[in-house]
Amino acid sequence: MMKKYGLLFLSVLMVLSMLLAACQQPTEQAAEGGEAAAGGKPGEGMYFRLVTHGGDDPFWAVVQQGMRDACDELGCQADIDLAGGDLADQQKAFEEAVASKPDGIAVVINDNTAWDKPVSDGLAAGIPIIGINNDDTEGSSGNDRLGYIGQSERRAGFMMAHKVFSEAQAAGVDLGGAHVAMFAEVPGAAYAQVRSAGVKDAMEMFGITSFELADAGGLEMTTVESRMTDYLVAHPETTFLLGAGGICTDRLTSALKAAGKEPNEVWAAGFDAAPGTVEGMKEGYVTASIDQQQYLQGYMAVYVLYLYNKYGLMPNIDTGGYLITKDNLGLIEELSGTYR
Amino acid sequence: MQRLKIRPITIYGLNTALTFIITFLIFSIFTPDHLFLDPRNLASMAKLTPDIGVVALGIGILMIAGEFDLSIASIIPFCSYIFTQFIMNGMDPLLAFILIFPIGATFGLINGLLVVSTGLPSFIITLSTMLFWKGLLFGLSRMMPISILKYVSDTPIEKILTGQIGPVPIQIIWFGIFAVILGLLLHQTKFGNWIYATGSNQEAARAMGINVRMVKTVCYMIIGVLCAWAAVMQAVRLGSFAATQGIGFELKTIAAVVVGGTALTGGVGSMLGIVLGIFIIRIVENGLILLKAPVFGVEMFIGVAVVIFVLLNSFVNRRLVRLNS
Repeated sequence: MMKKYGLLFLSVLMVLSMLLAACQQPTEQAAEGGEAAAGGKPGEGMYFRLVTHGGDDPFWAVVQQGMRDACDELGCQADIDLAGGDLADQQKAFEEAVASKPDGIAVVINDNTAWDKPVSDGLAAGIPIIGINNDDTEGSSGNDRLGYIGQSERRAGFMMAHKVFSEAQAAGVDLGGAHVAMFAEVPGAAYAQVRSAGVKDAMEMFGITSFELADAGGLEMTTVESRMTDYLVAHPETTFLLGAGGICTDRLTSALKAAGKEPNEVWAAGFDAAPGTVEGMKEGYVTASIDQQQYLQGYMAVYVLYLYNKYGLMPNIDTGGYLITKDNLGLIEELSGTYR
Repeated sequence: MQRLKIRPITIYGLNTALTFIITFLIFSIFTPDHLFLDPRNLASMAKLTPDIGVVALGIGILMIAGEFDLSIASIIPFCSYIFTQFIMNGMDPLLAFILIFPIGATFGLINGLLVVSTGLPSFIITLSTMLFWKGLLFGLSRMMPISILKYVSDTPIEKILTGQIGPVPIQIIWFGIFAVILGLLLHQTKFGNWIYATGSNQEAARAMGINVRMVKTVCYMIIGVLCAWAAVMQAVRLGSFAATQGIGFELKTIAAVVVGGTALTGGVGSMLGIVLGIFIIRIVENGLILLKAPVFGVEMFIGVAVVIFVLLNSFVNRRLVRLNS
């Protein structure tokens, strides 16, 4: 009897899940509605797909917002696939996107070889394909995509490090003996590797030689904070503590406080504008952070594909490198989660 | 009904205590300048370990009853999200905190009912509920972090959950209180006996008149309540809801509980062992970093340490049981 009720309960849960999925569908396809129905928009009748590795990450909600806003303005339609970090799932979504014969696809090229053939095949089928957010490290010579819209990660890493090194130098810190520790949520991932390469570029410029890329232990914030605190206690020689991603940057301030550091006793900087980063900047612990302006990646993807269909135009756009400091923090706070 | 023999803590906790003391001494002596004993280091451990530790206490009890719960990785952020929504909609943070407990218990109740009524392995059921709640949370929150600093700063809730008593972070005091309460429940009550009996031999327990379905369901509800506590305690400390709260806790808690001498097959374990297991895992990670082991890939060392501790535990356990008999 209990088993019967259990199965019934499971069935109800499954139905609830399907209902939820159905409820979410209009959200993802919200770009279809709106003013487009009113007619007279230049992109009417066009349909685009964004195929991404996004998932459990607030980052992609902002990309979607950009996509929706562009669709509302142009009167076209677009869907976004959030494959959740699994390359095979993302490639399946890409195949489905090609099969739906859209007027263009924007794909996150997060692997140097895996996307070569799918993109070539899609282009051969007559579908314009561009890269967004992540590109082949060799750019257009490594992948046939028509163009790329996203942050130059290396330049972003360089800009962040350059800013914090400059501030420290201006404050009289001897950079010759400085040690840089950069914590990454997933140190082996492309973002961490390329951003840290940018940091090393800046180190070379300032004559800094000591660097360590450290494993923050994943996305769980307590783990990240405890690893950073332990490191600071064990490495008093640390002059700069950098976050390679948004979660590490969020935890910089708490780790510095736990290790008994005063603002700018260890100089800190990183990426994104998570709540902990914003507070850290206000308190003077975090010098700078980089906003990669992901809204533009969704927004410009739709516009670029539209312009390519209309006039054959195909630009490459670097959306990143917007430096957040306490001077422009107000604007970022106001728009966080929607446009920033 | 036949009264079951309460497992003496002296058998199932002391072996882990020995391991704990050895680990503590090794890192106290060998870390440069005895950094392990640095007040900053001890305070950091006392503040951060309870985030996972409080939940691991419940996981230990459930594993003694012979079941698993992987869904904690979703229940924690979900409780945090609900708490955040409550206070953002004008509810007093203290009231929101109180209301989150029945909600956490309900998450546990659902797990418990699904496990006992379907007869499917709890590993599969709670894996499914973990995915279900995660998906629902994704839909509701869009995974955006939400700052709650302005709602909780300088409020009683902040002092209650993240304050200090002298130099001691209050989190470790709460952890101790939970450990004592659950320890008394496990070792000094009839319900504790039922937990051991259920985990040792479910059929025999049933034959003795123990309602094993009720025992398991209550264990899941205890975990739900502990998840609610940990969720709010962490959110208040972070100053925000983060969808990544609790990620990875489902396996780390099992590792800690097993290091603490709890059998994966159920029926064996102690509250002292569970508490020490939680600290051993944390001390190993902390100590290795203080010894300047490469932070890039420190998990490798932790993995090896877990296997060594479990082997050591089993060995000492066998010897003590042999001596006891």
